[in-house]
Amino acid sequence: MPFEVKMPQLGMNQDSAVIVAWLKAAGDKVTRGEPIFEVETDKATMEVEAAGDGYLAGIRVEEGADIPVGDVIALIVETEDAVAEHACAPVPASVEATETAEVAPNPTPAPETTAKAEETVAPAPVEVRAPAPPALSGPILASPLAKRLAKERGVDLAALRAGGLPEPIHAADLSRAATGGQSQLGARISGDALTALLQRSENADRTVLFAAFAAGAWRDVFETDDATIAIRGLDGATVHYPAHGEAEAGAAMSLVDLCDTRLQGYAPASGGITLSVGADTDQFALTLSFNEASLPMAHAITLLDAIAARVEDPIRQLI
Amino acid sequence: MRSITLSQAVNEAIAEEMRRDETVFLIGEDVAEAGTPFKVTSGLVEEFGTDRVIDTPIAEPGFMGLAVGAAMTGARPIVDLMFGDFLFLVMDQLCNQAAKTHYMSGGKLNVPLVLRTNLGATRRSAAQHSQSLHALVAHIPGLKVAMPSSAYEAKGLMKTAIRDDNPVVIFEDKLMYQDKAEVPEEEFLIPFGEAKVLREGRDVTLIGTSSMRQVCEAAATMLEADGVSAEVIDPRTIAPLDEATILQSVKKTTRAIVVDEGHQNFGTTAEIAARISEKAFYHLDAPVIRMGAMDVPIPFSPALEDLTVPTPEQVAENARRIVAGELIHAL
Repeated sequence: MPFEVKMPQLGMNQDSAVIVAWLKAAGDKVTRGEPIFEVETDKATMEVEAAGDGYLAGIRVEEGADIPVGDVIALIVETEDAVAEHACAPVPASVEATETAEVAPNPTPAPETTAKAEETVAPAPVEVRAPAPPALSGPILASPLAKRLAKERGVDLAALRAGGLPEPIHAADLSRAATGGQSQLGARISGDALTALLQRSENADRTVLFAAFAAGAWRDVFETDDATIAIRGLDGATVHYPAHGEAEAGAAMSLVDLCDTRLQGYAPASGGITLSVGADTDQFALTLSFNEASLPMAHAITLLDAIAARVEDPIRQLI
Repeated sequence: MRSITLSQAVNEAIAEEMRRDETVFLIGEDVAEAGTPFKVTSGLVEEFGTDRVIDTPIAEPGFMGLAVGAAMTGARPIVDLMFGDFLFLVMDQLCNQAAKTHYMSGGKLNVPLVLRTNLGATRRSAAQHSQSLHALVAHIPGLKVAMPSSAYEAKGLMKTAIRDDNPVVIFEDKLMYQDKAEVPEEEFLIPFGEAKVLREGRDVTLIGTSSMRQVCEAAATMLEADGVSAEVIDPRTIAPLDEATILQSVKKTTRAIVVDEGHQNFGTTAEIAARISEKAFYHLDAPVIRMGAMDVPIPFSPALEDLTVPTPEQVAENARRIVAGELIHAL
């Protein structure tokens, strides 16, 4: 069994410490009590000793990295052969979270390559997560209450940890995890009728039409007269539909029109209900991103279906 | 309502019970004319005479054994043990005789005896006069242990102790004798095994015995300023212990800190924390924290002695840490 080398708690109120230097390299033989790395807290710099005999392996952090107390930073394995088995890429001194964004490889469709293009088109928007940290071994540090709630709700704590939720996991982390994420619904709609309409009318603005469809669907589904759509332009500017200058916070949902790009879907990582529309040959790809705590799945389905129906048959919106 | 000192409250309780029941008598060192070093029993000898308020030589095992025999044969002695530290001198009489006689006589004999003594450090009395040894006797089946946390509790628990047909050890905090609290003029008793919720809270339960109740209340006030809502519970008796009230609270707050002035190792804090961990395990969102007296002989040096007892600041700091979800004990 490999030993986990963890960032030790060196002071009463210390949350993390900086790795000043590794005194041993991966593969080096270490004996219990031998210094293996040097850390700096806000108070002092000190050497941390190996807790057992073996070979240093799986160094997960580089020198200069600020590591929370309790985090596993390396392993001590029993045999030299096991060193390679546990090798992993170290976390650099500064880790930048990767933006959640979607870039579906969607080459510009050309008639002669349609078949090939279809193969490479992403079938549906796929959520791109920040790269998961190295898989952690050992028991999950979670409070008994968090473990019980996770079991009751069918939440996989190991998956939460792999997703980057710091340990120890408490009940509040679980509620955030259960309600904080964005859900997505996707639809592919025939674009024939809308395309024909846009071609017939020189004044018709596609994006505004999508906003009108979204607002109309919203009014129908939620039986309200008030439905403002915040149109988020690709240049970063936001305008409202209907245009009466409301703040985005007052908008029912956001709209992102990606039809002039190769992109198919956009799902913001945090908050809000967002509809994105992408064009794909003779179809439109609709993606509704929402938080189930604020928009239950059943309502979201009804809403996106109502929007899709309007895109498919724009006359429905006009009458 | 009138406020009286803890010392006056104990005096009233003893006087009332001695008036009510002529089999009650008080025995110990300096209990008569001197009224004990803490002046708790002043005036009793004038009212009840030297037959019922009996000064003894400095011979704890002797007068404790005498009182156990008197209790077995129909009297209700209140034994005054000047310092809690002297419990070691009366261990055989208390733990081997008083605690077991009812069982070993097949229920034929009772030992309705009260052993009044004290606990508490920071009085600059050094290691042999500063201990809090209640866990030692709470460990022995057959003994009841009461720990009043104010004048009100001191009076109500003392009267209940005197009327109990079993041996009861009652620990008063020697630093609290002059502390005043509201105590009703009319008669009242506080039943054993009923904890008191002194303050309701949402985030953490602070359980404090004896003077640690005040420490917990002060900590709760500090925490309130930080937006942390602490519930404060005084168990009042640790044997029997009101588990239900404690568990109900912890199930609500999901976190607990147990504060007691006995040494932390193998102590009262450990017992209460263990019961919470066993019986409310699936409701806990943080480890149960024990805060007892430092595990050293109590130093004479005032600067060092003060470090051995939990303070409101330390309780509040621990509460903030567990409420914030800090990693308290890494695996």
